[in-house]
Amino acid sequence: MEAQDSSIETHDLTVIYNKKPAIWNIDFLLPKGKIIGIMGPNGSGKSTLLKAIMGITEPNIGYSKIFNKPLDEVRDRVSYVPQRQSVDWDFPASVYDVVAMGRFAKLGLLKRLTEEDKHIIKDSLEKVKMAPFANRQISQLSGGQQQRVFLARAIAQRADLYLMDEPFVGVDASTEEAIINLLKSLRDEGKTLVVVHHDLHTAQHYFEWLVMMNTRLVASGPAEEVFNEQVLTDTYGGTLTTLSKVANLLQEKSFPMRHK
Amino acid sequence: MMNFLKEILSFLSFSEPNVKVVFWGSLVLCGISGLVGTFTLLRKRSLIGDVISHSVLPGIALAFILGKQKNLIYLIIGATITGWISTYLVDYITRNSKIKNDTAIALILSVFFGTGVLLLTHIQHSGNASQSGLDQFIFGRASAMNMTDVWLFAGAGIIIIISTAILFRGYTLISFDEGYARAIGFPVEWLKLILSITTVITVAMGVQAVGVVLMSALLITPSAAARFWTNNIRVLTILAVVFSAFSGVFGSAISYTYQGMPTGPWIVVVVSLIAFISALTGSKTGLLKSLLLRRSNNRKILKENTIKIFYPLSLQGTPEKYYSLEELSVASDTPVKILSKGLSVLKNDHLIEGNSSLGFRVTAEGRRESRAIVRKHRLWELYISRFMNLQPDHVHDDAEGIEHVITPEIEKELEEELNFPLLDPHEKEIPYDQL
Repeated sequence: MEAQDSSIETHDLTVIYNKKPAIWNIDFLLPKGKIIGIMGPNGSGKSTLLKAIMGITEPNIGYSKIFNKPLDEVRDRVSYVPQRQSVDWDFPASVYDVVAMGRFAKLGLLKRLTEEDKHIIKDSLEKVKMAPFANRQISQLSGGQQQRVFLARAIAQRADLYLMDEPFVGVDASTEEAIINLLKSLRDEGKTLVVVHHDLHTAQHYFEWLVMMNTRLVASGPAEEVFNEQVLTDTYGGTLTTLSKVANLLQEKSFPMRHK
Repeated sequence: MMNFLKEILSFLSFSEPNVKVVFWGSLVLCGISGLVGTFTLLRKRSLIGDVISHSVLPGIALAFILGKQKNLIYLIIGATITGWISTYLVDYITRNSKIKNDTAIALILSVFFGTGVLLLTHIQHSGNASQSGLDQFIFGRASAMNMTDVWLFAGAGIIIIISTAILFRGYTLISFDEGYARAIGFPVEWLKLILSITTVITVAMGVQAVGVVLMSALLITPSAAARFWTNNIRVLTILAVVFSAFSGVFGSAISYTYQGMPTGPWIVVVVSLIAFISALTGSKTGLLKSLLLRRSNNRKILKENTIKIFYPLSLQGTPEKYYSLEELSVASDTPVKILSKGLSVLKNDHLIEGNSSLGFRVTAEGRRESRAIVRKHRLWELYISRFMNLQPDHVHDDAEGIEHVITPEIEKELEEELNFPLLDPHEKEIPYDQL
């Protein structure tokens, strides 16, 4: 794969939390038009990777490009679904209000919602089967419904690339199925979907491309090639001892990772 | 009490010239703090509000020492600077040290407030003639304002209102989901900066009326009270402004009427009262509402349980027959006291006719009702015996409770799902209106 054909390119991407790398030299090219899974154990930096790609967390070293361009040039083509638990669902807002936020990506701080925007919001609600709940307070939603609302907000952005952080966590079986069907129909429209996931059983069925990581990148490639015993052991079978020793040294002695 | 009301009315009639100043001053200062405070509350930064309000004190004192006089603009600038430094320090410490946010808040608050009190004491001992009245900033004194001050506050207030209206969408989004706001390219750092400058300025001005000790209550309480009434952020903001402006005016009216009382405590008493009443009666989570709901539920249960008694009776006897209270009590195994209460509800709703000497019988509507409740009961028994795998002798108690909750829509779903059954698990007929 060449860089110009990629949906996401990361180059030596490193984020340091509390003097210790949370992700370390993540370097890959991801294809377009595929459902891509990012997998790894808890605390392996999956969410941090998404946040670094989306510019929510500033990477300390390295960079990432989207559609071979810096994020700021293609921001309107990228949509992000944060973890459901990352917000307070007691916030005074309705389902419609939250999905409308998806249109703010285009409208910015000031422009009002047009008829077309309103149509897109309704359409997005229908795609996740939440249209009857448009006026419902978000505090009254179940976990699965909350996740659908977040997805509807992302769809309302009408982006080409979707980054989703653990959309399958804590949702009921019917929502899980609805989400995967939605992902497939978006893929069929030519969109690229990058999904942080941790359930190994479903991984093979859901994803066409897999990124396996544990702070460092273990493997990135077509699911059938990557999903083998060796890679799984490398990803989940504990951290590399020497690597984590070095990471701890960096933290203890406050060494900088790079110096000029 | 009458005297008190008269005093307040005479305040509101602006009979004294200075009253106008106090009225408009408190209205503006408290109104904008309700507006800005909404986002302090929604961003869960209530304690930061407390830090800022305590930390403006050293700024006021320093501005006085450097300016050598009580010039309001100097004082506000001084207050804004130290207030700003305090929030910056709290965020800095939280981000860059092992000290957690709550500890950082306690630390900065006490250091700044302590320094403020120290400086204030120093000024009071310095014998400067114009120092009198600086201590009013501790608990606030609205009557110390003059018309020029009010114009200054009004000007700043208008700027704050306009900027908040323009940036409302941005403020809302960073309050709900900061990460997403960043992801879609909103200028999050700028929004946070402008919002926090606005908050500091609001606090720096508000201490004139409320005082540094209680200012954070005025920032948070109005929107906390408004939260009991609405789930819409725009309505919430407007309500918060109304609540706080009202408390401001009313509180200063009381303190003005009784000369020498500080304003802040009275304003806070009024706004707290509003919050208390809102908690009791608010439309969203109000305790009163749940109390009323429980009452209406109990009435429905009593009514349906009583009408149910007539169902087996109307199957055996002639429908025209009147039954005495005792007969009904025996037939249903219900104490007379509860039964007569239920009967009076039924009569009120025209489901039965008769009286205690003649006896009671159901009306046509009552017969329909009694069939309906029995039908719901038996449908539910059948439903749970089938889908919860319960033995027929285990389903009755559950159905006794659930029968009252089942709406006509649910009933229809049950009928369809069970394919219009004729018999319940006890082989008893399920009574439909028409077959």
